[in-house]
Formats: sequence, structure tokens, C-alpha cells
Amino acid sequence: QEFQFGPCRVEGVVLQELWEAFWAMKDIVQAKDNITNVRLLRKEVLQNVSNAESCYLIRALLKFYLNTVFKNYQDKAADFRVRKSFSTLANNFVVIVSKLQPSQENEMFSVSDSARRRFLLFQRAFKQLDIEAAQTKAFGEVDILLTWMEKFYQL
Amino acid sequence: AVPCVSGGLPKPTNITFFSINMRNILQWSPPEGLQEAELTYTVQYFIRYGQKKWLNKSECRNINRTCCDLSVETSDYEHQYYAKVKAIWETNCSKWAETGRFYPFLETQIGPPEVALSTDEKSISIVLTAPEKWKRNPEESSISMQQIYSNLKYNVSVYNAKSNRTWSQCVTNRTLVLSWLEPDTLYCVRVETFVPGPPRLAQPSEKQCVRTQKDQTSALK
Amino acid sequence: DGVAILPAPQNLSVQSTNMKHLLTWSPVMVPGEIIYYFVEYQGEYESLYMSHVWIPSSWCSPTKGPECDITDDITATVPYNLRVRATQGSETSAWSTLKPPFNRNSTILTPPGMDVTKDGFHLVIKLEDLGSQFEFLVAYWRREPGAKEHVKVVRSRGIPVHLETMEPGAAYCVKVQTFVKAIGRHSPFSQAECVKVQGETLPL
Repeated sequence: QEFQFGPCRVEGVVLQELWEAFWAMKDIVQAKDNITNVRLLRKEVLQNVSNAESCYLIRALLKFYLNTVFKNYQDKAADFRVRKSFSTLANNFVVIVSKLQPSQENEMFSVSDSARRRFLLFQRAFKQLDIEAAQTKAFGEVDILLTWMEKFYQL
Repeated sequence: AVPCVSGGLPKPTNITFFSINMRNILQWSPPEGLQEAELTYTVQYFIRYGQKKWLNKSECRNINRTCCDLSVETSDYEHQYYAKVKAIWETNCSKWAETGRFYPFLETQIGPPEVALSTDEKSISIVLTAPEKWKRNPEESSISMQQIYSNLKYNVSVYNAKSNRTWSQCVTNRTLVLSWLEPDTLYCVRVETFVPGPPRLAQPSEKQCVRTQKDQTSALK
Repeated sequence: DGVAILPAPQNLSVQSTNMKHLLTWSPVMVPGEIIYYFVEYQGEYESLYMSHVWIPSSWCSPTKGPECDITDDITATVPYNLRVRATQGSETSAWSTLKPPFNRNSTILTPPGMDVTKDGFHLVIKLEDLGSQFEFLVAYWRREPGAKEHVKVVRSRGIPVHLETMEPGAAYCVKVQTFVKAIGRHSPFSQAECVKVQGETLPL
């Protein structure tokens, strides 16, 4: 069982562990998101992503989660369950990112560019919100992210 | 409708979606301490997470029951939804009680499969049919839950009544033949569906029993 | 904050077998006093992105014994920093930190326990429940010269699982090893066990 994002293969991450971690905090985290009329990971970001694009896109998304969404979140996460689940997700995202090596060759430019445009849709929507509200919303949408990632998980 | 005094009543409690095979029923309990009162309820649903509007569910305006079928309104299972309900009593009404974010694709229960057994002397063949997704009306074409969840698996457990032994097998395809069984023996089969992903309730099928036929060779002696 | 008169726990180490991880340390001895210990951890994410953040262990904040089951805290295959301190009343020791950090990919994997039986002509195996991290590679073959070895991946744990339909009069042998997806490693194979269709389990 491993992730196969197009050419990028990722072992050593058990998707079930991520699901269980997120499920333990889903209600707590999503209840804090009051901006219900905004969805960051919209269909235009994740729908019909080609295999070739997927490695670029997942890398951009997970790096953004690690660098921006999760930043300082651990300080605010008073609830112990959230802190523990948060740590599980964050550390497994570190493993995934460390194993993603998308090709940098020129002929892949159009693919990487398409993935970048999708990511920018997400990032722009994120930046239109107050940073804390945006972090909470993006964190609450990890179920949407994992659902998309599951499509690339080979049982 | 006559406007009511909001907040005059406590809110309904335990508001949640009960979902199986994408049939999504909003259900709740009466407000604390008002279980016996003659209350009515009104339901609204949020068109979808990421959109703006709360809409009335007309069939669930001023109803007495504590449930409301929102399957139509939540049928695009790749989206997320909210719903809310308030209690009304004469000119008083409660504030809205709201669900958490409901994601049918991840939260619907997968019902038990249909299990067809046929037997001969020493074998039982089991044919499994995945449950169907809920549909608005019988004329609509059927969609199998297997089409929605391509990684759906079956956990088949077989009980041998003579040896009082049970063993199980995890299969992905629909047919399974148990061969070299003992003749004239009662075997019982129960099947549960399983989809990898978030923790999900699963309903096993009813236990079905079948007896293998008598051994023809001993019958001829 | 109490001045650190209380000595810090020493000799921190982790014993890890089959993905069960036990942190141990030498107890701090103060005659006639009860000492409590607090255990905290941080994964690679915390140490890289927010090194000031330490998370209390699920079961040992506080604990009385000089050991702590950290299995539930280690939930990714990355290096984990672990630290322990002692408290006695209002006095608190300095932290002692495990060196080097612990990574679950170092766990010792042992062959799993198994129970090979038959139900009529059906070869049935029941495997030790080692937790959801484990899959089992079950190898089985018919005991005769040149027999082909079959391999089946079994994920069910602690319940009898159907392995094969046997032919009358034949003997079948089974051995099993575990596979842990999260660290991509196998255990050694177990001893083989054989079953004859119309007889008792045969010793090897």
C-alpha cells in the first residue's frame, strides 16, 4: 500500500492513520469554521487532476499546509485530542513531502503550470480570509484533501 | 406564518444526519424538558458548503415528527452540507439548532449486500450484490454503491453448524464458491461490506443458512 | 517554578517490538517520597517548524512508574524527540531528553503466533492480533516434492480466516510473516505447521 501520484511514489504512510487522526478532531475543528459560504479546496482545484499533475499539486498543497496552515496552530490547539491528531497529520505530511520528487524537466512545464494554477486558486481563496479563519477553514477541509489523496492510494 | 418570539424555547438537541446508502435523514430530539409538549418543527438546509443560501424545506415546515428526509437536497455526495431545525410552540420558538458539516461521501453507512446462496452436494456458491444508492424515484436508473466506492470489499463469514466452527474470507469480487464442504451439513453465511477510509458504521447482512445436499454415493448404497 | 534540586531521570531508552514502543528510564529515588514523571514528545514536524512545542504523552503525563507506553504517541515514521522529568510536590527536575531520537522503523519484528486448523477440507488459520499496522503474508504449500508455494495476504486479525480448500488425503504446510506497511518491513517467517486432511496436526 502506497501513494502513486503519477511518477511520484510514496511509501511508509498509512492513509488509515491519517483518516483516524482527522476523524478524532473533525467535529471540533469544523465547528470553529463559521465562514460556511467559502470552500478553499473547491472542485476546480481538485477535479480531473491528471496523474502527471498530481505530484506537483500534492507537493504544493502539503508544503502550504506545513508552512502556513499548520503554523502556530499547535499553540492554539488547546484540546488534547486535536494536538495529538494534528501532530499525526503534520508528521505524516512531512514524510510525504520528503518523498515527492516531481520532475523538473522542461517538457513537464505545461503540466506543472497547470498544477500551479490549481494551487493558486486555493491559495488566493485562503489569502482573502483573515489568517486565523483561513487556517481553521483549511484545517477543517483536510477531509476533502484526504478524499482526493485516496484516489492515488494503491491498495 | 405568524412570526414567533425567537429564543422563547430551548433548542432541539442531538441534531444529526442518519445516512445509509446516501439516503440522508435529518433527525433530532425534542428540546430538554419538552419531550411531552405538542411542539412543531421547521427545517432549513444550507444549499452546500461554499455557497451562501439557507433554504426552507417546505415539506418540513411546522411538522410534528423529529425527522426530515433531505436526501434530494444532499444528493451530490461529493459536496458538504449543513442543516438546522427550530422548535415552535404557539408564539414561541427556539433558536436554530445546527448540524456539523455533513459529508455524505465519507459519512454514509454502506448497507449490507444482497446475498444469494445455492448449493449442491459439497459446495455452496455465494453471489453478492452491493446495495444500491438511494434514488429519488423507482424509475431512476440504479447506481450500485460499488460504482461509488471502487475499493468496496466484502467480509464473508461462514459458520459450520456441525463442527461449530466459523471462518471468514475477505473478497472483492461478487461470486465466491465454497467447495469440498461436508454433505448434509448446515452452513450459515453473513456478509459485511467494508470501505477503506474514515471509520464508518457497517451493517452486516442477515444470517442466511443452507444445507448441503446428502452424499449421493452413500444414498445409492 | 521549583528550583531543580530533584535530579533528572537518567538512562532513557526505548524498547520497541512489533510496533509497541516502551520508553524506560532509571527511577529517581527520594526516600519516603512519591515521585511522579511527566513524558512529552515532538515529531520531526514539531522539531522542524515549532521546536518550542512539546506534546504531553497520552498516558504518562503524569505517571508513577519509570516507564511509559508511547505507542499511541508515535504515529508517523519520522524521528521523535522524547523527554522526561520528575516531580515531587512542587519540586521539578530538569528535563532529560532521549538521545538519539526514536524512529519506529527500528522496531523489532517477530514472527506472529498462528493457529492452523481445518474444518473438513478447509484449511483455516487464525493469526495473532498485533494491531491495525500489521498485514500477514501467509505462505502455504502441499507437502509433496516439487510443490508450489502459494502466498496470500491476510489483513484479518484474531479471527479464523479461510486459506485454502484442500484435496482429500493431502497434507498442507503453512508459515507466516508479518508486514508493517508504515515502515515497509517484514518479520522473519514463523516455523511451518502442517495439517493432514484426515488426521491431526503433524509435528514438523
